[in-house]
Amino acid sequence: MSLRSNTLWEVLKSAFSQRVWEQVWPAVGDTLYMVAVSALITLVLGVILGVLLYITPRGGICPAPWFNRVAGTIVNCLRSLPQMIMIIVTLPLARAVLGKGYGSGACIIALAASCTPMFGRMAESALTEVSKGKLEAAKAMGSSTLQIIFMVLLPEALASLTRAFTTALIAIVSMTALAGSFGAGGIGDIAVRYGFQRFQHDMLIATVLVLIVIVQIIQVAGDVVSRTLLKKWKLI
Amino acid sequence: MSFIEIKDLHKTFADKNKSNLVLNGIDLSVEKGDIFGIVGFSGAGKSTLVRCINRLEEPDSGSVVIGGVDITALSKKELALERRKIGMIFQSFNLFESKTVWQNIAYPLRLEKMKKKDIEARVSEVLSLIGLEDKRNAYPGELSGGQKQRVGIGRTLANSPDVILCDEATSALDPQTTISVLDLLKEINQKLGVTILLITHELEAIKYICRNMAVIENGVIIEQGLVSGIFQNPNSKTGKIFIDVYSSFQNKEYYGEGEGI
Repeated sequence: MSLRSNTLWEVLKSAFSQRVWEQVWPAVGDTLYMVAVSALITLVLGVILGVLLYITPRGGICPAPWFNRVAGTIVNCLRSLPQMIMIIVTLPLARAVLGKGYGSGACIIALAASCTPMFGRMAESALTEVSKGKLEAAKAMGSSTLQIIFMVLLPEALASLTRAFTTALIAIVSMTALAGSFGAGGIGDIAVRYGFQRFQHDMLIATVLVLIVIVQIIQVAGDVVSRTLLKKWKLI
Repeated sequence: MSFIEIKDLHKTFADKNKSNLVLNGIDLSVEKGDIFGIVGFSGAGKSTLVRCINRLEEPDSGSVVIGGVDITALSKKELALERRKIGMIFQSFNLFESKTVWQNIAYPLRLEKMKKKDIEARVSEVLSLIGLEDKRNAYPGELSGGQKQRVGIGRTLANSPDVILCDEATSALDPQTTISVLDLLKEINQKLGVTILLITHELEAIKYICRNMAVIENGVIIEQGLVSGIFQNPNSKTGKIFIDVYSSFQNKEYYGEGEGI
């Protein structure tokens, strides 16, 4: 149903009709699947990357300035690609690994390649918030580097890491929608094919609603988790 | 031989365009079971000195020997093990805020992979020693400064260290709390025989618990001896200034309300 031939009210009503949601629901499933898998990859790789970036500069807890410079440069290069270009660039990789350059698998590769460096930097800055004194205390008690990372650094940074990951997760959702127009399927695909190409504005409104709800849930959940931690630690 | 032997310790902080000589040949010896104070103005190098002892700061040259072990010659791994016997408390406490008091004190024990039951027993022991049994499940965020420093002391005590290094440990506390923390250190020293090295700019603290002291100026120890001796007859400039300021305060207190009569 289009706004060109129908009133806004009719289109709005139609946006909640069964006909629309029969198409939208499976797409929501696809989107959630892509978001979940790439979020997991981004979380694990991003935290590892963030920790490495944090501990390796000169004066860090495990100095390796050379490594730090190389890793930092690679991260900056990956981050300079806009998400749309990253999707196009990783298509050959997806084709080589998965045998096809479209579908959710290809999208996940692009998402991970784009969001891991971003979340890596965010994790790095979240770790910087942990006071150096705590790490020194851990060192003075005879902790090894790994013990400092897992028993002090990550637990102490948990609340700010949660906040950083919430932001990253929302970026992943928006990038998933973008990937829809490059053959990834999901919500973005619906929005482009029906909403843009066929002027089916009821579909478009439905996808917008879905995206708003998903992002709201993520943001609220992230805030609740980080606030609960800080409250538990009596820091707020 | 003394328990802590520091010989000809040098440390320079080098920037790109200027270098800053902070320790210029420190010689110091501390007997076992002593409470030893080191005073000096800001920038005299006292913090760097204490941080060189457990190599939080790497000295450029010279040696630090504690209980016969040459700390400066240890590899990274050996150093980590040796550090477990050298406790350290800080001006800013540096407690782990995501861990409870209990978990903070248990931390050094977990490093040693001690059994849970033994950890529980040891932490309870330490908690009663520092008088915070009722705060075992509290987070540092809800403690007062004095309580935080007690946890800091408890955390270093868990490992039964031979030495405790105090880096301006009471400088962030009010006078009353300072006294209570110093009392705790004194008690630990008497009960457990732990050697304590106290770095501070508060002469009051040194007078209160130290037997021996040293005065550090421009990266060298310029005066060293019994606290009573130095207080009565300071030879160095820094020592004199410190004692002068200190006694002028004392006199002021003495005349306090009687002034003008």
